Amino acid sequence: MINICLLYIDPGSGSYLVQMIVAAVLGASFFFKNLWLKIRSFFFKPKKEDQPENDPDNG
Amino acid sequence: MTRTMDSHLEMPSAYRDPSGFVFRMNGQYYRQVNQSYAADYEHLFSSGLYQELTRKKWLIPHEEITDAPGTKDRYKTILPEQIPVISYPYEWSPQQLQDAGLLTLSITRAAIEKGMILKDATPFNIQFLHGKPIFIDTLSLELYDPAKPWIAYRQFCESFLFPLYLQHYQKGDVDKLAMAYPEGIPAALTARLLPSKSRWKAGVWMHVLLQSKIQKDYQGSNKPPGSRSPAFSKTRLSRILEHLENILKTLTTGIPQSKGWSNYYDETILSAAYLDKKEKLFCDMLESLTPASALDLGANNGHFSRLLAAKNIRTIAVDADWRCIGDMYQQHRKNPVGHLLPLCIDLCYPTPDMGWLNKERPGFIRRAHSELVIALALVHHLALQRNIPLSGIADLLAALTGQWLIIEFVPLSDIKAQTLVENKNRYHPDYGITHFETCFSRYFNIEKKELIGDSGRILYRMKKLSNP
Repeated sequence: MINICLLYIDPGSGSYLVQMIVAAVLGASFFFKNLWLKIRSFFFKPKKEDQPENDPDNG
Repeated sequence: MTRTMDSHLEMPSAYRDPSGFVFRMNGQYYRQVNQSYAADYEHLFSSGLYQELTRKKWLIPHEEITDAPGTKDRYKTILPEQIPVISYPYEWSPQQLQDAGLLTLSITRAAIEKGMILKDATPFNIQFLHGKPIFIDTLSLELYDPAKPWIAYRQFCESFLFPLYLQHYQKGDVDKLAMAYPEGIPAALTARLLPSKSRWKAGVWMHVLLQSKIQKDYQGSNKPPGSRSPAFSKTRLSRILEHLENILKTLTTGIPQSKGWSNYYDETILSAAYLDKKEKLFCDMLESLTPASALDLGANNGHFSRLLAAKNIRTIAVDADWRCIGDMYQQHRKNPVGHLLPLCIDLCYPTPDMGWLNKERPGFIRRAHSELVIALALVHHLALQRNIPLSGIADLLAALTGQWLIIEFVPLSDIKAQTLVENKNRYHPDYGITHFETCFSRYFNIEKKELIGDSGRILYRMKKLSNP
């Protein structure tokens, strides 16, 4: 557990929960993106290396 | 031996952090490192993080001072490289805030690889040096526990991400919002200000709407933060940091060129010949001067600021229009010329003293005093558009000027001046060359006076009187 005495800025009620959820969503997105890439490369030989996507919110 | 701090000024801006504080001695800023930060300080060096960050010019380098005054809990005293001019986020263009945010994330990512993390993520920890942002609060780096999430996540969102989201979707005046919310724009307010179309973006949904909802749910509850949270991990944190970085990089911080003052010189009928003549006269007037610092008021696209900076004069360029300041900053980042600091300042409402006891962040006038001040095509805007009397304009310029003033006077007959008074029946009727010279002669000695071609405009070089 965090020692609150050492925190000189307010981390914000619920800020940890937000980060847990954000990390989980990003983790799931990462997992499915990888899965999709594997499936795609199984059926179709990639011509080039896959470029990272530009849209940040697809993350 | 430890001396007391009685004779030195502790800076109020740095006393929120129990790890140390900043104080001023013999005109230089020092930082005391307290015993409570000793382990973090040692790790900063032994891990190689300090070396990496200073090599990349992300963190301000410092030297340790052995014989320095201090309080009882002093562990070390450091003398960081000095920043010539301090500026604050409510004076930056969105581009500057974006770069400061990206630097904060880059430092956090580099730090977690070396077992440290930023314990706060406020833009006040960043300054601009040689056209680029640099992190100045060395004591913000603390030992990292991978089982815990980022304590400064909320602060980062409120101070960087939310203002930049608002800039991206609402196009403008984020500097004014930053002034109203110096500790960051709350998630709930950001959620209300963002347009509904933004809700389809995963980033907005997670970092703004979800955060706002959870904060609301937690408000007034006695649950200590994180009390029921399962352990976090470095991988999870890295994903969040990368996600924030990707969002920040793609948010737009500019605006189409057709608005505001940012293409004033390109559009004006006075442009080419007038500008050439003005530049020649300006350079002639500047030739025999040797200022170390300069302030360009109403800098527009920064043409003259760059001329000054190129002569190795430390130059602050200010304009009320954030588009001009943003363009100038981008240009300076791409092609740096000397030390140039562009800032968004409305001279009718310059940044006031802010923060605790009004001493935490000094106002603009107290920071901007320069040996040379230039005010080109500015006076008619202040006098005719903003209704500031010429005597008041002289007061302001005298307060800012150390030695020399190069100032342009635009007569009432000028087409630009006429545009300003076209639909106005109330402006100061004594606006004219005679009254202008009378007002400025209270503080300055007029050394040179030249007509700028056939434009009717006059360029003056004035020297400040030693006892006005």
